Amino acid sequence: MFRIAKRGETNNRQALMFRLLGIFGALLVTSVIVMFMDHNPFDVLFSMVKGAFASKIRIENTIVKAVPLAITAIGISIAFRMKFWNIGGEGQIMMGAAAATYVALNYSSLPRIILLPLMFVTAFIFGGIWAVVPALFKVRFGTNETLFTLMMNYIALKLVGYFQYTAWKDPNGMGFPVIAKFEQSGYLPEVFGIHIGWIIAILIAVFIYLLVHHTKRGYEINVVGGSENTARYAGMKVGKIVVLSMLLSGGICGIAGFVQVSGVSHTLNVNTSGGVGFTAIIIAWLSKLNEGTIILVSILFAGMVQGGNYIQTAFQIPASVAQILQGIILLFVLGSEFFVQYKVFYNKKEVKKA
Amino acid sequence: MKELNLTKVEHLHNNADVINFENINKTFGSVVANKDISINLKKGEILALLGENGSGKSTLMNLLSGIYQPDSGFIYINGQLVTIKCPEDAIKFGIGMIHQHFKLVDVMSAKENILIGRKEKKNVEKNINELMDKYGLIVPIDKYVRQMTVSEKQTLEIIKVLYGGASILILDEPTAVLTPQEIEKLFAILKKMKEKGQSIIIITHKLNEVMEISDRVTVLRKGEHIKTVVTSETNPIELTELMVGASIDLNIARPVYENKKRILKCEHLTVIDKENVKKLNDVSFDLYGGEILGIAGISNSGQKELCEALAGLQAVNEGKVLYENVDLIGKKPREIFDMGVSMSFIPEDRLGMGLVADMGMVNNMILKDYYTQKGLFLNRKETRKKAKKVVEQLKIVTPSVDCPVKKLSGGNIQKVLLGRELDASPHVLITAYPVRGLDIGSSMTIFDKMNEQKMNGVGVIFIGEDLDMLIGISDRIMVLCNGKITGIVDSDIVTKDQLGLLMTGKVEMYV
Amino acid sequence: MKKRVLAMVLGLTMLVSIFAVGCTKDEAKADFKAGFVYIGPTNDNGWTTAHDVARLELEKQLGIETAYVELVAEDEAAVKDAVTNLIDVGCNIIFTTSFGYMEPTVALAAEYPDLYFLHCSGYMMSENLGTYFGRIYEPRFLSGIVAGMKTTSNEIGYVAAMNIPEVVRGINAFTLGVKMVNPDATVNVRWTNTWIDPAKAKEAAEALLAEGCDVITQHQDSPGPLIAAEEKGAFAIGYDYPLTDVAPGSYMTAPVFNWSVYYVDIVKQIMDGKFVSASYWEGLNSGVVALAPMTDLVPAEAKTLVNEYEAKIKDGSFFVFEGEIKDNTGAVKVPAGTKMTDGEMLSMDWFVEGVKSN
Repeated sequence: MFRIAKRGETNNRQALMFRLLGIFGALLVTSVIVMFMDHNPFDVLFSMVKGAFASKIRIENTIVKAVPLAITAIGISIAFRMKFWNIGGEGQIMMGAAAATYVALNYSSLPRIILLPLMFVTAFIFGGIWAVVPALFKVRFGTNETLFTLMMNYIALKLVGYFQYTAWKDPNGMGFPVIAKFEQSGYLPEVFGIHIGWIIAILIAVFIYLLVHHTKRGYEINVVGGSENTARYAGMKVGKIVVLSMLLSGGICGIAGFVQVSGVSHTLNVNTSGGVGFTAIIIAWLSKLNEGTIILVSILFAGMVQGGNYIQTAFQIPASVAQILQGIILLFVLGSEFFVQYKVFYNKKEVKKA
Repeated sequence: MKELNLTKVEHLHNNADVINFENINKTFGSVVANKDISINLKKGEILALLGENGSGKSTLMNLLSGIYQPDSGFIYINGQLVTIKCPEDAIKFGIGMIHQHFKLVDVMSAKENILIGRKEKKNVEKNINELMDKYGLIVPIDKYVRQMTVSEKQTLEIIKVLYGGASILILDEPTAVLTPQEIEKLFAILKKMKEKGQSIIIITHKLNEVMEISDRVTVLRKGEHIKTVVTSETNPIELTELMVGASIDLNIARPVYENKKRILKCEHLTVIDKENVKKLNDVSFDLYGGEILGIAGISNSGQKELCEALAGLQAVNEGKVLYENVDLIGKKPREIFDMGVSMSFIPEDRLGMGLVADMGMVNNMILKDYYTQKGLFLNRKETRKKAKKVVEQLKIVTPSVDCPVKKLSGGNIQKVLLGRELDASPHVLITAYPVRGLDIGSSMTIFDKMNEQKMNGVGVIFIGEDLDMLIGISDRIMVLCNGKITGIVDSDIVTKDQLGLLMTGKVEMYV
Repeated sequence: MKKRVLAMVLGLTMLVSIFAVGCTKDEAKADFKAGFVYIGPTNDNGWTTAHDVARLELEKQLGIETAYVELVAEDEAAVKDAVTNLIDVGCNIIFTTSFGYMEPTVALAAEYPDLYFLHCSGYMMSENLGTYFGRIYEPRFLSGIVAGMKTTSNEIGYVAAMNIPEVVRGINAFTLGVKMVNPDATVNVRWTNTWIDPAKAKEAAEALLAEGCDVITQHQDSPGPLIAAEEKGAFAIGYDYPLTDVAPGSYMTAPVFNWSVYYVDIVKQIMDGKFVSASYWEGLNSGVVALAPMTDLVPAEAKTLVNEYEAKIKDGSFFVFEGEIKDNTGAVKVPAGTKMTDGEMLSMDWFVEGVKSN
């Protein structure tokens, strides 16, 4: 009979061992699958790493993918610190993106130096609103934020669908349901060949790190996350803290949406969020809400996706198989985290039926 | 059908033993709850399982009732090796557990509760009545559980278990929620059951009860079996030593502060909860600087609401709390502080309310005054120094002042909380069950600190459950029953029995 | 803390591999390599399958290397990602095969002026970006003849993707074919607003069947409507790619693409250094479009009529969009004796008489 128990303490060596074992296991299983596809597993897996980091284009592609993941994961981490389970990153990204798009399309005559900050701020506000609504309901009526934020995703997605197919449909698109492309003034400038979203991500990480660890507001967020009762006991206005922090959490996710439309897509469509809001949850959790780690893990994650795309292109492996490989790697990484925190043992002294 | 994994080959044990534990081990993470425990229960005896909180009593009994499984070791019932995988298995083996928190359905009658999960329809009342007569159990079988007193509920639990065919009864801290009179009644029942051949394990940490009811005492300490002794051959002092490891002076000092001055005057405090129940009903009393006011009462008699109302955490429907003629009611904790009233509060739920479990000492010490710092940023330098000072003064055992407090022992957690609250130089110190679950050493440290505060002219409120301790340390004792004050008495002249009567609301007394 | 250790180990592994790659990187030595960006999976049994079959044919005929990326969303981020990955593996001729790839392709063509870009079904061009499409309305018209003669309820269902000229043109050509042989029939259009979503396409077809249609056709990349028709015992006309085995009890024929005709031609031009950015739009004559072989479910007289009109279209004696054509409000859009110009056809945004669209 197998049983599971939480580990009290796991030392670093043990933890490292489980994680390495996890990676090893992932390599083993993916290798078997790749072999069934009649490819050399060493080639394919090595190419996956190469495909993510081994040329300028690949590094650029990886970083471009990492930026929205990192920004969103940082945004979500603020909510998670409060044990507010914000599953609504996807919708907050969408609303931020939609708000930025509205500004970009309607005020395109403004100079870039004014237009971009304006897009940034509106994206923050609308992403924030999308998170504040469930926060208000939770504070006021005790609704479940997990379901609420999840549902808000669908509202945002359908709203963007409405914009794309009806309200903001490009009149010059010959009927094709697209929103017009931004003017150049709505494009994020590039530094080192990559749009400056990466700088925004780093700045946000630093800002949130300082906020969370070195300010009174951040301290309050941590106390509320630790125990709401304790926060109340200490005289904190828990409701206000939750709502304001969710404004920040959703707002940052909204900025991820702004970066995505302004930096890469240059317009809005129903694919803009592309699951980033969900992937970011995994990243935030794997990173234990640590801002620096989030950036690193986001790059590794993006590298995995980019590497997956690369092996698809280079080996002509079907997209579904590339996704299976990514899923297996993720499963093993998450699985090793389980074993870091829990132990499973087999009870040898089991009494057998006579 | 469930396999019970019974084996009939093992007959190694004395037939008189109904239960044998053999080399039982159970760990939770790094915490060793039971270490190599081997004990037995004889037929027709009452065995007291004695130990402080965290000594492993409850874990051991949960192994027996199928809630946990041992990591290693063997359990024999009536000489047969068994595996108890789930509570259903335990019931089949005739084991009945009466938990501290009753598992009854409020909206059902006693009879319906007894019959939950049973099919028989005929002769039900007759059978229940026979059972009650046999053991002297009395419960009106058509009464709804929600209308019952705690004692009635407990009796009902016992009937339920016996009706289910239990011949081995385990009672987990059965007296914690009872008044002295109810305890006497319970003990009479237990003795009767013993006479009729039932075997009983009673989990407790109260020595006087052990002496009164048990035939043998098994003492556990820190998960280990220390010794099993025959009750008639031992005495409370020996048991205390076995329990805590060394002889400790049980006397609590009660110095006298001469210059008492009234600091709080509570008038007609009334708190009504969502279900329209009066949690506090017209509570009026005075608190003097330089005294310890003990508050006694059965649990959930309004103690929590009273503390929180005083601390500004509980909305009050009626009444006043006057501090130098200024009403504190309706003021937030920080407004009270800004008025110059330093109110320190050690809540019952230390990790859930007083502290943040995942934070270290420094972050916990800064909890109440962080907002007084100027600017956006938080400076922890001073607090770090303070934390280190508190560690020294209260002899707190912790790897560092940043180690999450949840990793500390109960006593050290309480010291962290006390250290922070005393650091604020309070005028009023409210303590709710401050020594619950602490070992005697830690308890004495806490009591010393409370006395120290009292001698500094602080008004101390001490909410307690152990009447010996209440009488020992308090100057006066206020008794609450169902949210009402049933008495405020001088602890020099009051007896435990009197307090017990007051707690049930049978009499009122003011001295 | 522990997490950092993991991150560092992974990071190091990757760094090492970067250096390893730096030494062994072997440039693709072939002069030309064609990369394809697909909206669906290569096995969608429709639009993307037609392109992928042609890609393999291109490899075979010209002996060049090709690569593809499937399931790419119509979003600049996704297209850019796919195309840069293709460029990274050495592709220098890029085919982007969905209308929604147009703007991203324009941007990429500007970013990579030395490479050749060819966008299917769009209208934006530049120095190194050409467009290509087939006059699929010609076989559509022929399939309309089949539908018009097969229907008994006189209600024909059309599962359409997006309300854009390309789709509208197909609906109109089909309806003209229907009306020519069966003036009483109506073509009922349902929009899915997606190129490829087999479930949605099937649902739309089921709704049309429920409304009484007994012949279904489609402008969808997947064979969802064929399956719906098969399940309901109705008849169906496919699209993009001939599919007899998916719905043997319903499938009659399909207007299909033979992209290899174009792919081989344009790649040859590029290899010969004769590339000129152009808009390729050919019909039945070139072979880039065709009506797939008709099954036995097609009435004999329909077969005869189809063959007759196919010949007429090929020799120029018949033109699909020649007046008089009225729109579905009754207004004359093309006067008698007039042929629509390519420009007019490419911006068609009205429906001919007999189309019911909501």
